Amino acid sequence: MLQKDFIAKIKQEFGLDPAHIKAVAEKKLAVTVDSGEALSFLIYLKNIDFIQLSLITAVDWIDENRFELVYTLVSWEKNLTVSVSTFIPRDNPVIVSVRHIWPTAKYYEWDINEFFGIIFSGHPEMGNPLFLEGWSEKPPMRKDFDPQAYSYERFPSRKYDYKVENKGRVIE
Amino acid sequence: MKEVKLFHGPNHPGMHGNFSVHLTVDGDTVVSARPNPGMLHRGFEKLMERRSWIQNIALIPRICVPEPDINEAVYSMGVEALAGMEIPERAKYIRVIVLEIARIMIHLMSIGGIGGPTGLYTAPNWGIADRDLFLDIFEKLTGHRVYHMYIVPGGVRQDIPADLLKEIEEKLDDLEKRLVEYRELIFDHPILHKRLKGMAPLPKELALDWGITGIGIRSNGFDYDVRKYDPYLVYDKLSFDVPVCDESDAYSRLLLKFREIPQSMRIIRQAIADMPAGKVRIKLPGNALKWKVPKGAVYSRLESSRGEYGYYMVSNGGLTPYRVHVRGASYPQSLYGVEAGLPGTRLEDVAVWLDTMGVCAPEFDR
Repeated sequence: MLQKDFIAKIKQEFGLDPAHIKAVAEKKLAVTVDSGEALSFLIYLKNIDFIQLSLITAVDWIDENRFELVYTLVSWEKNLTVSVSTFIPRDNPVIVSVRHIWPTAKYYEWDINEFFGIIFSGHPEMGNPLFLEGWSEKPPMRKDFDPQAYSYERFPSRKYDYKVENKGRVIE
Repeated sequence: MKEVKLFHGPNHPGMHGNFSVHLTVDGDTVVSARPNPGMLHRGFEKLMERRSWIQNIALIPRICVPEPDINEAVYSMGVEALAGMEIPERAKYIRVIVLEIARIMIHLMSIGGIGGPTGLYTAPNWGIADRDLFLDIFEKLTGHRVYHMYIVPGGVRQDIPADLLKEIEEKLDDLEKRLVEYRELIFDHPILHKRLKGMAPLPKELALDWGITGIGIRSNGFDYDVRKYDPYLVYDKLSFDVPVCDESDAYSRLLLKFREIPQSMRIIRQAIADMPAGKVRIKLPGNALKWKVPKGAVYSRLESSRGEYGYYMVSNGGLTPYRVHVRGASYPQSLYGVEAGLPGTRLEDVAVWLDTMGVCAPEFDR
């Protein structure tokens, strides 16, 4: 399916403002939707043959005080890739889980929950460790987490008491 | 009956990489499985946010140990898409040659890897030995054997010498002659037939639910290959077939890998023959270490040996990437697939399941 036909289709069927749709490349589209209608848009896409969920990712826009969630979907039949972006506030990062639509989303969402602290409502594993067992700091992929400060605090530089013998001597 | 909890991996001959699966078994049958990643977590995504666009070149091959070139290529393609750069034609051909040699290498390694769970130790001896011959080519081309750091934003680091192209062709001819022996020694071997045929089936519905790409979906009759569907570099100018089979079991998935090797050879030979002369790298604007990539976001992807490998990259116009998310090709089958597909398997087939599904720990536990 051609990109412009597809843009016309979602405009007509879902009633999305075309200003929110951007053609990134020949077979790639980027769509921005409100967090309220994100779920219904994703369900709509699943019903028109976007069977493959490639990736769910989060971006921490700390200056704008919000998180961006990006769902990358692929349709093999239409041969198109769509990135659906939605924004949620940083103070109350809650969004509905899509794991009932794409079962594989379970681990992408769990991953994001662990690294960003975003809560996916309807997901049974929120707060449980997946990659970071025994992690008690703030979620590490947030922009206000400083890994260098953390490692200096956690692993302070130690002084070793040792003597270097034959210092400066060239061993032949 | 009483259920027992077992830890499969990280120290297990049938487990590749530092990854473990917690199994609950009833007798010999797996009742539930839970993937337990995190032993290999190195924080690459966070590290990349603190390094400049060019410094990351040294970091990204480490994300996937057996298949580093894929990472270099997908990262470079993403950066080029963000910066709106068009690389020289010759560089595209060289990238194709490098990526396809890498594909042959990883397929040889995974054919060798089947020796662990099945006990057919001829396979690793043959697979790893032939992979080593291609590592020699990489050593001559890039100076490194495993992590090459050869594909960079703007092209490739250096031109490929003419005598090395000849040597690549000779090595391909040599391997092609011996593929018959691979078939006789490994794929026609009674052990492999007994241990793999009909084992670890992957029905079509499950494969679609998990979002598997690559071998997993091609063994179910779909010809989905990013090289054909969304051609990158010069794959649209080269002719090759995508091997497909109808029924997915451990044997057919392993055989598909083997059937992809001649196709990769075909691609390399065409690329060597068609390669134009010219520059291999365009100069980056200004000081490369202080290069500011324009604002934007991109999902760049390509076909690795295990499926679609993608990077979601965001730039805010700064010196470093604002956000990089690595989507390892085996993410769906290694995490959700293990949980949803492993129950019902017999304990002795768990290693076969994990091996032939292409579970690769470093790329999802990045």
